Amino acid sequence: MSRERGGRRWRPRNPLVRQVVALGRGTLNVIDALGRAGMFLFLSCVGIPSREGWRLWLRQMHFVGVMSLAIVLVSGLFIGMVLALQGYTILVDFGAEDALGQMVALSLLRELAPVVAALLFAGRAGSALTAEIGLMKATEQLTSMEMIGVDPLRRVIAPRLWAGFVSLPLLTIGFSVVGIWGGYLVGVKWLGVFEGSYWSNMQDSVGFVTDIGNGLIKSLVFALVVTWIAVFQGYDLVPTSEGISRATTRTVVYASLAILGLDFVLTAIMFGEIG
Amino acid sequence: MNESLLVEVEGLHFSRGEKDIFRGVDLQVPEGKITAIMGPSGTGKTTLLKLIGGQLYPDAGSVRIAGEDVHRLSRRALFRLRRRMGMLFQSGALFSDLSVFENVAFPLRVHTDLPEAMIRDIVLMKLEAVGLRGAHKLMPSELSGGMLRRVALARAIALDPDLILYDEPFVGQDPISKGVLVELIRTVNQALGLTAVVVSHDIKETLSIADYVYVISDGQVMAHGTPSTLNVDQDARVRQFIHGEPDGPVPFHYPAPDYFTDIMTGRATS
Repeated sequence: MSRERGGRRWRPRNPLVRQVVALGRGTLNVIDALGRAGMFLFLSCVGIPSREGWRLWLRQMHFVGVMSLAIVLVSGLFIGMVLALQGYTILVDFGAEDALGQMVALSLLRELAPVVAALLFAGRAGSALTAEIGLMKATEQLTSMEMIGVDPLRRVIAPRLWAGFVSLPLLTIGFSVVGIWGGYLVGVKWLGVFEGSYWSNMQDSVGFVTDIGNGLIKSLVFALVVTWIAVFQGYDLVPTSEGISRATTRTVVYASLAILGLDFVLTAIMFGEIG
Repeated sequence: MNESLLVEVEGLHFSRGEKDIFRGVDLQVPEGKITAIMGPSGTGKTTLLKLIGGQLYPDAGSVRIAGEDVHRLSRRALFRLRRRMGMLFQSGALFSDLSVFENVAFPLRVHTDLPEAMIRDIVLMKLEAVGLRGAHKLMPSELSGGMLRRVALARAIALDPDLILYDEPFVGQDPISKGVLVELIRTVNQALGLTAVVVSHDIKETLSIADYVYVISDGQVMAHGTPSTLNVDQDARVRQFIHGEPDGPVPFHYPAPDYFTDIMTGRATS
């Protein structure tokens, strides 16, 4: 893991051979990074947490979860309000504005809450995790911890990984709740949709397993991927100011792409047969 | 040598990318002595400490500490070995989210089950030894560079290690704190009977405390001996380094094309 290996690079003269070498080296680098990231995840997660471990985890729950609460809830409110507004203008043409509650709830639970909350989480908490761990690496705090005989994977990385893994699904639930309430404010209180049909249509159409459950599964997957990318980028970066800025950017870019790509795959698996 | 050796480095090779950092380094660190490793900047002195601490892997050769090959140990055995080693980092590397007291208490808390009262006593004793008992409530961000290093020293000796590795302890210090650190390293070593490896390029300070000195250059041991023999060494490279001459076998200029053609034609830069 943290043991680097010195090595010598081979640079041939023939340009064609050089391209083949570059291709091979690139592939090997990708496989190498994936392997390191996998070992990293494994070594961080296995093992029973001590009492100290729980304390560290709670502390990180505060930094990673509670501190992201404001941005996630405010965004949820606005997204719910916009959904209701946009949905209403289309549904009302067909006289189907009673279905507004169903539309808002299903879009939020199945798609928007897991995806948008994860994207916000990557920007708010993921980048902070990368920068924090990166700075600890740059100031040799991780190395000194190793030299004291404490594994930074267990002490620094694991609490952060678990905190991210637990807090994002909770944030996603909060996002949905506030979003549905935002849709209610706009649809019922402002645009005049009948309150009874807003809630009862929602109650009839939302399945606990199919919609809420699948949304939560998505959110758990995103939580793992985002936090994993964030802590690994922090742990693996080049410990200079430029390296930290690059790694922070990479965290947000990789995490966002991974969220959107995985969302498509998961949606196809979960809801693919419906249509 | 008759004395027992705590650290033995044999035929160490290490390279990074294109660059060879070590090409066969042999070192021996006798128990209870201060061994200095010196050399110009960029000769990989810190890398050598990381190799000794098992944080880097050599391409060839071995590092043995108390008879155990550092790079053949399992991760768990390596961490166990490291409890017997203290390392003082160039930057101090204190944990920025813990106070001075908690930084020194950290190794005690994670490696022992001592009651809180005893931890408190040990921490205050160690801080007293480096003269910073009064600063135990401060955060690392409130300390000067010299104080950071002294707290880091207190933390490194918290568990009474057998071996302590100093990475450039004098770099960037004013004359007073240099003097303080020299004195501290010497007294800590005598009082605790430690074995110390000091990596440095501060000639005067290092020669004053070292029992034995290795000078590393170009990835190899260029010279070794006691401070007094090195001071009178006639080898041109050793003399340049020990007496701080700006030009000599180690050239002042980085390798470059001919000055005149470079300036007049501008061809060399492209």
